[in-house]
Amino acid sequence: MLFLAVRSVRERPGRFLATLLSAFLGAVIIMMFGSLHDTAAAPGVDEVSSESMTISASVVGGYGSLLVFFAIASTLTVGVRQRAEEIRLLRRTGATPAQISRMVVGESAVVALAGAVLAVGPAVLGGRLLLDLFKDGGMVAAHVEPAFGAMALGSGFGVAVLASVGAAFLAVRRATRTGAHRPARGRARTLAGCAALVAGTGGVLTTYAVDGTEEMLMAFPAYGAILLSVGFAVLAPSLLGRLLELLRGPLALVGGAGGYLSARNLRRRGAELAGVLMPMIIFTGVATATLYIQGVESDWVTRSGLEKTVEDKNVETLNLVVVGIIVVFSCIMLVNSLYAATSYRSGEFGRQRLAGATPGQVLGVVGWEAVILTLTGLVLGTVAGVAGIIPFTMVRTDQVLPGQGPATWLAVIAVATVVTLGTSLGTARRTLRTPAIEAVTVAA
Amino acid sequence: MCPPTPVRSVVGMAQNASDEQRVMTMSDRERRPTTRTAEALRLVSVSKVYGTGDSAVTALDGVTLSLPAGSFTAVMGPSGSGKSTLLQCAAGLDRPDRGRVLVAGEEMSGGSEAALTKFRRDRIGFVFQQYNLLPTLTVEENTSLPLRLAGRKTDRDRVRAILTQVGLGERLGHLPDELSGGQRQRVAIARALVTRPGVIFADEPTGALDTRSARDVLGLLRETVRLHGSTVVLVTHDPVAASYADSVLFLADGRLAGHLSAPTAEAVAERMTHLGDRVAERRADNGPLMEV
Repeated sequence: MLFLAVRSVRERPGRFLATLLSAFLGAVIIMMFGSLHDTAAAPGVDEVSSESMTISASVVGGYGSLLVFFAIASTLTVGVRQRAEEIRLLRRTGATPAQISRMVVGESAVVALAGAVLAVGPAVLGGRLLLDLFKDGGMVAAHVEPAFGAMALGSGFGVAVLASVGAAFLAVRRATRTGAHRPARGRARTLAGCAALVAGTGGVLTTYAVDGTEEMLMAFPAYGAILLSVGFAVLAPSLLGRLLELLRGPLALVGGAGGYLSARNLRRRGAELAGVLMPMIIFTGVATATLYIQGVESDWVTRSGLEKTVEDKNVETLNLVVVGIIVVFSCIMLVNSLYAATSYRSGEFGRQRLAGATPGQVLGVVGWEAVILTLTGLVLGTVAGVAGIIPFTMVRTDQVLPGQGPATWLAVIAVATVVTLGTSLGTARRTLRTPAIEAVTVAA
Repeated sequence: MCPPTPVRSVVGMAQNASDEQRVMTMSDRERRPTTRTAEALRLVSVSKVYGTGDSAVTALDGVTLSLPAGSFTAVMGPSGSGKSTLLQCAAGLDRPDRGRVLVAGEEMSGGSEAALTKFRRDRIGFVFQQYNLLPTLTVEENTSLPLRLAGRKTDRDRVRAILTQVGLGERLGHLPDELSGGQRQRVAIARALVTRPGVIFADEPTGALDTRSARDVLGLLRETVRLHGSTVVLVTHDPVAASYADSVLFLADGRLAGHLSAPTAEAVAERMTHLGDRVAERRADNGPLMEV
């Protein structure tokens, strides 16, 4: 089946672009930080420099791997779902599930390898840039030479290929499995979500138990906020379903036929929405929490008259880099899953148009859905973020809310809103170019 | 049941000229507005070509016809005869290259999709082979959707009455996935009826159904003509389905190629066979298609 895989990648490269892009970006980031390990391990590097680099590389490496894994998994799952028709065709032609699995996994491995190979060049440059940043900050001695070796390449290729192969395997297993046994998965989901919420609440509350001047203080609320975001993200679809039961009437009143259809669509499409809500909640929650906590911390250090230590600077740089990575990857995931979810609905839009919906009304449905999704994502993400910020601010300073004002939060929200509305409406507009009657035939 | 109304479906055919030609004369058209409501659908020299250059295919070649209100007409023809194109052009789902389409006396404009949609949703109902119901809406919601989209008041009692009439009064809250094919098609018929359209187009409505459900659906379509006074245009390749109609129009190579009143399945099947022969002959000597 490998020949099928190679052929399939070669003939339709466009389809693999999303996976390639996330594998590429993922590998760049992992290799960049991996190269810090290589640099630190080189002979003649002093202990402080070495430690600075090793800590950053480990923290971001672990964090980043997880995000890269999620991003690749999300793009791959979407890709496999879009190919349901091709997979059905192959099965009818006599391919066993194992053969199909080998084909899809093979393809993903090929794409991931390509992404990782492309990533080497940018990662070498990025690694140097990062090292310069550390040197400028005085965290690494000026004479340390950049290195790019086994750790960088190994971790980069390893994460990209493993994530792709693993995600492809899971996605194709879901696609080739006949019969539906969903309820068990739903329950496991709810349990996992609740566990994340409990752990997150615990993390946030632990903040109060720690001494206000403790250096490690920010770890508890930050991780608490992240866990809360994950928990909300996992539980969001069913929460949204319940919320929409209440909102049905008002929405139809405000949004007309568009709002009416949106409320009904969203209520019954929980599983698909999870893919969109998850990156949005995580993006909002983590970005808000990390940026504000870092801001409060920096203010506190300045105000208490302490000189910023190397460690403080390390943590600050790290936090900002982590936020950067999260922003980039959440955006990729968000755009990808929204694009896929919307273009996948071409047939549904066709049916709406045949039932008498004008193109404007279809865009209205999509627009209202995007608005509801954005609001849900932003509210839950903000709750998670604030849950981390308030305890930290209370314990670190004598205020309740941080003194930075809402500008950062507004910026985070603006990015999420623009990305969500832009992708949904843009994709829907393109989908509407197909005549309605063709759109329903293709999907049927 | 009352006897089938005499059908005056008019085809641009020579031997029908005495009665039918007047539909097409200019003076007649000017006189017509007073009796406008009696005509549900009219096509005047409608042509449609797909593709360009050597690969161009003439799907419709100057089709002219008129269907009176309250008629049940089947459109038949071999594959590639232009049946689907005829339906799509007549129903405003596709724009003809030339010619005019009038529904209930009003001309379909070549405006934007939004304009065409608004024209369509007030005057035309659809029933498709694949039902095309929205999976997230219940039976009742699906049925009232065209009214909501048109911004009209949804008369709950009327929606329910129609659904009861098609035999789904007990299943208002079901989703399409919970219904059989025949039941889904009946929802589609109810949805087509709800706006009181001038014409209902049914495109192979029984194509995905078993014989028994197919019979029910065809009977229901005939009933809507009798009871609601609807006008139904049924596009099909199945002679049995066509025999439910009051009359049959035959289509070959994008042109009208015959007409049959009070059809039986046997007569339709026989005509179809000859149609195939004549199309083959015509293609062989590339001459004009002889009319019936």
